[in-house]
Amino acid sequence: MGKQLNSESLRNRLKLRSFASEQKLLSSHVAAAQFFKEKQLRPGKIREHATRLLTSGILAGSLFLSAPTLLPSPSATPTERAVSLALPLQLNQQIKSALKFVLPEQIQPLNSDQETKISQILEQIYGLKAVASLENNKLNTDYGRMGAEQHLPRYPGDTAEAHGELIEKGITPGLGGWGYVADVETEKYYVAVQTLYLPDWKQRTQYYVDWYKFRRVVVVNPANGKVMVAAVADAGPADWTGKHFGGSPEVMAYLGINYGMQNHPVVLFFLDDPEKKIPLGPIEYNVKTGNPVLINKA
Amino acid sequence: MTKIFYDHLVVREEVTVELDKYSLAREEKEELIQLVDETLHHQILNTILTHLPKEKHREFLEKFHKAPHDESLLEYIKDFEEEIIKTAKKIKSDLLSEIKTSSRGH
Repeated sequence: MGKQLNSESLRNRLKLRSFASEQKLLSSHVAAAQFFKEKQLRPGKIREHATRLLTSGILAGSLFLSAPTLLPSPSATPTERAVSLALPLQLNQQIKSALKFVLPEQIQPLNSDQETKISQILEQIYGLKAVASLENNKLNTDYGRMGAEQHLPRYPGDTAEAHGELIEKGITPGLGGWGYVADVETEKYYVAVQTLYLPDWKQRTQYYVDWYKFRRVVVVNPANGKVMVAAVADAGPADWTGKHFGGSPEVMAYLGINYGMQNHPVVLFFLDDPEKKIPLGPIEYNVKTGNPVLINKA
Repeated sequence: MTKIFYDHLVVREEVTVELDKYSLAREEKEELIQLVDETLHHQILNTILTHLPKEKHREFLEKFHKAPHDESLLEYIKDFEEEIIKTAKKIKSDLLSEIKTSSRGH
């Protein structure tokens, strides 16, 4: 690993090949060219079209996905490991393509139809039961901008250096909304949510404090299809920031939103996993089957 | 990965394995794989339409558009599956050459 590739040159050459092969197809088969024009579909985008059919429910109950590949075992050959590593990218692409047709243009709370479709997509592809409302609890938004947070103290005297990774992000001078976050994984993959803006926060403060403490959520970056499980460990950000969620340094890094103004849109749902079988962190395979892809024959 | 009915005839893993040898950002790799996939679709469809009788084209394309995964579409290509496999192998070989050409110092 680590060999160098002139990716810009390769990208240009592959683009030329794709264009040339498309032109050859369309010029050789005029009736087919007319067909694709009528359907407003470029022939090379047929897999995206198939994904759209999936999200629109046309293929509901008759999903056909590629044959499963086992996660690499320690004795897997380099080829087997590389194939399995390639598949998460394809799952990311699938999520990204599917969400494109569900999410609204404006970053805003989702309607129930959008929430249902996204829940279905996450369950079909990753086996995750992710819901916008859990036990009659719902955040003020489930599609909003996530900003960068610092590391949270895990114990008195904790330092950013002691966290080992992304030290440059620093550590908060005070405690998180739920005090010290002693569990390493919980602190690593934490998010902040705006519990303070729940409509009845003042009336039911203790209930919400207990319910949201380390509540596990599913976070999706629609720009690249990356999905992870995180834990609520802080409250905020404030409304005036224009952001709706906060992400720990590791969350921001994995989702690929730790650049620029660091206020990129994400989808955030509750994880419905009462037995806590699904670990915190990135999700890159179907958690039900243990395979990178799901088969569900009608 | 959402399945297309002819995926089993096209071994694209060799190309993704080759790309995996290089230090590529995930987004870069994703884009390159997407371009590979598009080229394969163009060439496979070209082969199918070349060998399938013209009077069957519309019927095939309508069914393909409606359900790209549908294994019953294999009925249309059963007489020239070998041609599709040959086409896919040739494209794969060309794409692997492109990748090797683009590696620095090559």
